[in-house]
Order: sequence, then structure tokens, then C-alpha cells
Amino acid sequence: MGDRSTPTVGVIVNPAAGRDIRRLTGGASVSDNYAKRRTATCVLQGLTLAPDRIRALVMPDRADLGQRLVGGADDIDADVSLLDMQITGTPKDTRNAAEQFSDVADCVVVLGGDGTNRDVSTTIGDVPMVSISTGTNNVVPTPIDGTVAGAAAGLVATDVVDIEAVTQRHGTIEATIDGKAGSGTVSGLATMGLLDRPFIGTRAVLDVSEFVGGAVSRAFPTEIGLSGIAGGIQTCAPDDAGGLGLRFGDGPDADAHTVRAITVPGVVNTVSVSECVRIESGEPWTVSIDRGVVTADGEREREVSDAEVTFTVSDAGPQIVTIPAVFQQAVDRGVLSMQPIEQKR
Amino acid sequence: MSTETGTTHGKSTETMTVREAIREAMREEMQRDEDVFLMGEDVGLFGGVFDVSNGLLEDFGEERVKDTPISEAGFLGAGVGAAATGSRPIVEIMFSDFMGVAMEQTMNQMAKMRYMFGGKTEMPITVRTTEGGGMGAASQHSGTVHTWFAHFPGIIAVAPGTPAAAKGLLKSAIRSDDPVFFFENKMIYEQSGEVPTDPDFTLPIGEANVEREGDDVTVIATQRLVGESLQAAEELDSELSVEVIDLRSLYPLDTETIVDSLEKTGRVIIADESPISYGTHAEVMARLMENGFYSLDAPPERIGVPDTHIPFSPSLEQEVLPSAADVTAAIRRLT
Amino acid sequence: MVSIDIETEDGQKEALRRMMLIRSFDDTAGTLFADGEIPGFVHLYIGEEGVGVGACAALEPDDYITSTHRGHGHCIAKGLEPQSMMAELYGKRDGYCNGKGGSMHIADVDAGMLGANGIVGAGPPLATGAALSAAQKDEDRVALAFFGDGAVAQGQVHEAINLAATWDLPAIFLVENNQFGEGTPVEKQHNLENLSETAEAYDIPGFTIDGMDITAVYEAVQEARERARNGDGPTFIEADTYRFRGHFEGDQQPYREDDDIQEWQSRCPIDSFASRLVDAGVMTDDEVESLRAEVDEEIAAAAEYAQNADEPDPTEAYDDMYAVSVPELTMFAGRSVRADGGSPTNTDQ
Ligand SMILES: Cc1ncc(C[n+]2csc(CCOP(=O)(O)OP(=O)(O)O)c2C)c(N)n1
Ligand SMILES: [Mg+2]
Repeated sequence: MGDRSTPTVGVIVNPAAGRDIRRLTGGASVSDNYAKRRTATCVLQGLTLAPDRIRALVMPDRADLGQRLVGGADDIDADVSLLDMQITGTPKDTRNAAEQFSDVADCVVVLGGDGTNRDVSTTIGDVPMVSISTGTNNVVPTPIDGTVAGAAAGLVATDVVDIEAVTQRHGTIEATIDGKAGSGTVSGLATMGLLDRPFIGTRAVLDVSEFVGGAVSRAFPTEIGLSGIAGGIQTCAPDDAGGLGLRFGDGPDADAHTVRAITVPGVVNTVSVSECVRIESGEPWTVSIDRGVVTADGEREREVSDAEVTFTVSDAGPQIVTIPAVFQQAVDRGVLSMQPIEQKR
Repeated sequence: MSTETGTTHGKSTETMTVREAIREAMREEMQRDEDVFLMGEDVGLFGGVFDVSNGLLEDFGEERVKDTPISEAGFLGAGVGAAATGSRPIVEIMFSDFMGVAMEQTMNQMAKMRYMFGGKTEMPITVRTTEGGGMGAASQHSGTVHTWFAHFPGIIAVAPGTPAAAKGLLKSAIRSDDPVFFFENKMIYEQSGEVPTDPDFTLPIGEANVEREGDDVTVIATQRLVGESLQAAEELDSELSVEVIDLRSLYPLDTETIVDSLEKTGRVIIADESPISYGTHAEVMARLMENGFYSLDAPPERIGVPDTHIPFSPSLEQEVLPSAADVTAAIRRLT
Repeated sequence: MVSIDIETEDGQKEALRRMMLIRSFDDTAGTLFADGEIPGFVHLYIGEEGVGVGACAALEPDDYITSTHRGHGHCIAKGLEPQSMMAELYGKRDGYCNGKGGSMHIADVDAGMLGANGIVGAGPPLATGAALSAAQKDEDRVALAFFGDGAVAQGQVHEAINLAATWDLPAIFLVENNQFGEGTPVEKQHNLENLSETAEAYDIPGFTIDGMDITAVYEAVQEARERARNGDGPTFIEADTYRFRGHFEGDQQPYREDDDIQEWQSRCPIDSFASRLVDAGVMTDDEVESLRAEVDEEIAAAAEYAQNADEPDPTEAYDDMYAVSVPELTMFAGRSVRADGGSPTNTDQ
């Protein structure tokens, strides 16, 4: 973290998030850009809860969301400006912005889905992240009012809370593909899987019955998709060491578990899982397939054929801010009230 | 524009094409009056699909040369609203066939507002739009629709046949406090002629012009057919003396000039690219009947599109589009 | 049943072939136009093949489509014959419209292709109408409207969507966002970044997909069709794509940079799908190349056929105006110099 003189918060709003086909096949809500801009404005307002004046740097984007945000921030009591960077109109923008923030920011606020958070986490380093979900159907970011999220980011950036105590170190997953086609690595944040569907198509995972296997860095029944299915069998917190390895369908233990899970927003399913086991950090979990697709965080990412895909979970992911913990500490430390509580009485 | 200059009636002129004449008219009027602005699809950056407004964006900037979305109803309606509130918009509708999209704002707002409001609004809007077949553009990009507008009360409609008429009439249209439809036949953009350069030069709306004097037969023509008729007249010069009139203004219509000509020649042909039935021809003919019936030596003739749409295939398109040869044939039938 | 099942290897090959057919057709049309062989103007679909083929593959053969001025790809995707299309481009009697329509109006109503269209935004109301008749007749058919990003600015497009949404009609509205309407970039025509947000105003699903990926289009349209067929009403899909050529042939393109064109060309829907099929072992490189050669031959033959086909007879200009015969057409047809010069109004002269 470079310039420590002024507490700095980076703001990343992904204009493309929340508009995929899941909104058609399931019940996921759609996130329009007007709503995103309103939420982001609230984030900037929230920053002013912090005791010190904050510098906010906003990622510019092709949809002009960031640009308009900065343009309309005159009456906000913070130094709001645009991050100096080239716009490509692709996910690269998010990664480039996060990389710059890794040098200059004390905290970042991310508006997007799991995909956006994954992009940020690849380059953000140890800068704590406050994640706001745009739309539903996300595992990592949660839906939260922008003002509250901004306030939490401001408190973290001004160092009035103990960062270690108010963040969780999220795990990550990497898939190494050894196959006739599609070789290489793909990374994910919360979930990675292997589908026996032949193409990437609309990217979204539409039908969980197509899963052959995968691995998750966290698991809980409230998480929609792969980590919710695993979480129905055993839970795993985002900052627990290691993760869970999964296998579906055939195999020696076919249908070892029959899980009721929320697979897509608006859809509750019964899923047959042949294996769901704890894997240590760095321990390989291999699944093979003739022709299929590797998914990461609910998105189909890479087509593979005749492949062995090895998933490994790592504990060294991004620092995610636990919002209630921030405020609890802020209260405990008297940051929010003007006088000590005893004297007020 | 060529640098060649000359003088007509003691005033200086320049040789320019119809396209250049229209562009100059807009340029001069935009310089003269800052309330004048141009809007339409691709009129700015692209310079207009027929290159008519090329260069105006550079001269006047985006505020006064506005590229619009493909929303004819929206931006023509916006033009009506702007005109009612003190601006002088020139709205370009790329092809007159697209007027179908913008008809409501034309019929019920633009044309009626002054009257309905008891004369309490001005409507100084100019709508420039292209007409005519001849480039294989098929039915939805080739129509000649000016009769609809000339027919509709409250609208002024002009359709020049020469570069000078194009410039003079467009300048008058822009200065007019009434809504004026300015119809450009897209096949004559390259036609050139002498055009006055005086920025005060305008031509009065409502006046036809005798382009060529003659005694035996009158051809009352519009747009592209003015040139075609002049050509026919030229070819017949050794045998017959043909008078050719550019009607110029469809509404108001110059009854006097056409009736005077009828009284002189006794034989009239009306050449206009509209479909024949209920077309501009019919109104011209009615005026002649009402005011010059006893001067007629032969039934008048209409030359136009034979009540079809404009087909794509060149062999079919040629079949339905009137030309100099049709004028010649009609002259022969009448004389 | 979908028209082409892209889940199967045969279907994948056929989808690739259709895209190649469109590419070859339009390459040829562009050349023939530049050579002065084809009259009028042509708008090429090159670069957007994945959208047309992906969408039509997911439709059933009986479904309807409406098209645009850039319609060659939609025609071929819907299964129209290149030979009769080429004849129409030449204005020949054997063309789909007997030479009366040309590039911008090719139609084959029996094949569910309700016409290319010269009026931007005119297709969606027609699709709403086709969906209405399908619903009223209780037929298992849907109507898909292809239209451009530019058309989204047209009032009638919105009226059509509202009707279809309100009446739960089996319609699909598919925007081909090729980033420009003629020479004006999409951001200068719309305040929305995602045109699919339009759907929210009509309370129907709207989403944006990668139009350079045929499988993404296929899946999306398949889902939308399913929804339409179940009586759940229309869906709005925005496919991001790019036209590699000018708006029309001869367009100098002052409004865009070569770099952008190249960047999009690197995502060519045909090349990328072909290499995926090769990677997956569905086809070999040699098979891809021989397919391309086969397709080029088919199109060359179509062009040759069209060149040699008969011109319409000039009198055919008066056919097809009305179902009945009207005396005016006969009367005025005689005015032309082609005829003997007789004019019914002054025969007694
Ligand atoms: C009503 C109407 N207005 C204008 C035009 C002229 N025009 C033809 S194509 C076009 C651009 C259309 O853009 P878009 O809908 O994005 O389709 P694209 O050409 O990009 O495929 C315009 C303005 C027209 N044909 N119809
Ligand atoms: Mg477009």
C-alpha cells in the first residue's frame, strides 16, 4: 500500500455484471446500470462516516458509469476522482484497476458478481475488499446497502479498526487441465467445476445435472450452486483451511449422497453426489472427462476434451471485509459516537 | 464546387451542383441566423448519406449539426417542438419513404398547430427529404411522396428541378415561418447549373419558372423531369417549339404561370414522378381546367409512375420511371 | 425440435457450414457489387454469422423470423437457397421476389422468412403479428425478430415489444448490436450501455450475450423459445457483434478505427467455432478447409446461375400490385414509350 498519507478507497463498478441468461432460466434478478450507479453513489456517501476525509478513486469504464459517478460527486465530502487508466471494455479493466489499487488503496469496494470479485482478487493482493452483490446468484458478494458498504470501507481505510480482526482470508481454487484441448490453468474463487456440456455458450451454468465434478473453497446451503450443494453435505467457511472435492454421477459410490439444494435462483433440486470430501490446501483433486467445460464461480470458462482436470484449493486468497465486524469494532472503540458512552448518560 | 463564375442579370453566379446548392443554402442561412440548426441521421460525422451536409459539422459544431438516433418520429417531433419555441430547425429525413414513421407529428402537430392554437404559434421548420427512383434502391427507398404533403392543409411543399431553384427555395424555406417540406430528387444531385452567389438571393415560394419558352406545347415538370423535359424540347427543337416550366412549388401552386402558358400553347403535358392517380398531375390539371378550359386544344397528358411501386430490377425500374423519351412521345401524341 | 441440433457433432458441422455459406455468399455479393454486376446497394452480414445461424438453429423449421436491411445471413440461416437469393440480388425473374425486391427485400414466407426490410425497426411489429396469429391459431410456432442496435431507437420497436409482452405472445426480440447504426456509434444513439435493459420497461427478461459465439446465441434463443412456447411471453436478447465490412459496400468508414476492426476480426465467429471443433476432435483442419472449398463452390455456382438467369419481362412491372386486376394499371402501362405510344385518354386524337 503506497500513499498512506490520505486514506484511499478504490471503487470498481462492473457495468457488465448481472445481465446473463440465468435471469431467464432461473429467478435471478437483473441489475441495471442505473441501479448500479445509485448504489455506487451511496458508497461514496458512506465513506464520509469515517473520521477522516477519504480519497476515493473510481475505475472508469466503457459505459461511463464511473465517469458519471465522479461527475456527480461534487457535493460529497470526499476527494473523488477517476483512476487514470486505459479502458478496454473487457474484464481486463477490472484486473488493471485492481492492480493499481493494490499499490495505492487501503480498501476497495467492488460492485459486481462472483466473476468480478474473482477478477479483482487476481491482482488486488492484500488490500481488503468490500463486496456488494449486483443482482442475486452470487456466493462471495452479498447484497448490502451501498452506504453501509461505503461506511465499512471508510472505517477500514482510516485504520480505526483492526484489519485482521474484521477481515476473512478467502480461499481460491485453481484447475490444471491436462488434455487434448484446453490445456492450461483456470482459477476461481469459491467454486470450480467440470461439466459434460460441450461448449461455453452463454457462460452461465444452467443445469447442475451436467456437473461431473469440481472443488469448492467454501460451502454452505445458502450459497446458490455448487458450494450450496456441497454445503448440504458438510459446511466449510470461506477462511477454513482447504476445501471440498466433489464428484457426481457414476463411480464406485454413485449416489452416495442425495442432496436437496438451491441450484439456481428460483430452483430447488435434488442432486446426486457420489463423493464429497475434505481436501487439504494444495492437495490435488482430479476429475477426467471426454468433452466438457471447466467452470469457475458459476461461469463456463474453458472447453476441454480428453482431459484430466486437477483442482487444488489454496488458502491465500483475497482479504474480504466482514461488515458487521467492522461496525462492532467501531462501536466498541467509540469511533462513531462523539463522546464516551458513560458521559452521554 | 467549381470556381468558374459568371453573371446572370448583372448578379454574380457560380456553377454548382444541386448538392452544392443545397449545402450552400444551409451554410448561408446558418451563418445568417443562429437559430437555424440541422438535425438528422448521419448528417454530421458521416456528412449525410448523399454527402449533402458534408463539411457543415466542421463549420458549425455538434450543437448545430446534430446526428440523431434512428428515430424519425422522435426527432421530427422534436423539430416541431423546437420550431414552436423559437428555433428554426432543418430536419433531414434520409429517404422520404421513412416519412411513414414520422407521419403523426407531421399531420397532427406540425400542420395543425398554428391553426388550432388560433394563430398563436409559428412553425418555422424545414423538412428536407429525398425522393425518386433510378438507383436500384427498390420500393422502400425510391418513392415520390410529395403529393401527400402538398395535399395536407397547413404544409408548404416545394420540389426544385435546378441548382438555382434548390438554393433559392431552400433559403426561403428556412426563412419561412410556416412548415416547408423540401423534396430533393436524389438522381439530380450531380446536375449542375448557374447559381447566384449573393447571400441575399432567395426565390419566392409559390412561383413556377419558365425554363424554356415555346409556342407549340407546354411541359409542366418537376424535379428530375425538368431536365428530362428540357432535353426532349432540345431534341425536338427543329420541328416544334416546346415550353418547359419548372413547377418548383407544389403548394402553394402558381396557377397564373401555368394558365398563361396554356393560353399561349393550348397543349399541356404534366411530368412528375408521383404515381399518376390522384397525383400532383391531377391538381395541376384541375387548375388548368378551372382557369383555362377554353384554351385547351387537346386533352392534357400526365407523365408519372404508372401506379406501381418502384421495382428493384433495373429492367423493371426503367419500365416504370418516366424519362425524356416519355415526354417526347407525349409531345408527339399531342401535336 | 430445433432446426440444427448444435449439441450433436453433425449439428455442429452443419452450423459451421451455414456460417461459411453466409460468409462466402456475402464475400461474393460484395465483389459482384463492386464489379457493377449487382445493382442498388448491398449490406453485408460478414462478422455477424454466429448470430443468425445460432438463432435460426435453435428455432424450429416452422418458426417465423423477420429481418433487416442486412438480411442475407438471416435468409441462409433460415434455410433459403443461395441460388435464388443471388438471382434476386441480380434482379432476375427467378429470384425470391421475381426481381422486384432485391437485396433488401428477400423473403420466403413459406419458409417462415417474413422478409428483409428496408425500414429500420419495421420487423418487430411484424414479428409480434406473426406471434399473435400463431397464438390465436394455437400453433406451436414462435416469431423471432432480428433488428439492429440502431432500430432500438425506433418507436415502433417499443410498441411491438409492449404488445407482445402484454399479450404474452410467443415472440423473441433479438438485437444484433454490431456497435454502429450506419456511421453513428451505439453510445451516441442510446443512453443505455446494455440495450437489453430495455426489457425491464416491459417486465420481460432481457440479457446480453456474446454474439461472436454461435453456441451462446443458440442456447439463449433455445431458452427464449422454450419460454415463448410455454406461454410465458417474449424475451429480449442482445447479441454483441460486429460488422467487419462497411455499413454498405463503398462506405469509407470515417467513423471507426482499423484497430477496432482487427480486434473484432480476431474473434471471427466462423474461425473460432471451427478451431473449437478441431480442438474437440469433431473435425480435422483438412475437413474444415474442404468444407470451406465446398461452400465456395456452391456460392460460385449460385452466382453463375444468377448471372445467366433471365431478366424479367418489362411488363412484369405491372404484376403483383393487387390481388384483383385494376383498370388503372393497364391504362397507365400504355403510357410508356416501350409500348406503341397509344394513350387510352386520347385515342381519338
Ligand atoms: C426508418 C428508417 N430510417 C433510416 C433508415 C436508413 N438506415 C438504413 S440502415 C441504418 C442503420 C441501421 O442501424 P442498425 O439498426 O444498428 O443496423 P445495422 O446496419 O448496424 O445492421 C439506417 C439509419 C432506414 N432504412 N429506415
Ligand atoms: Mg447496428
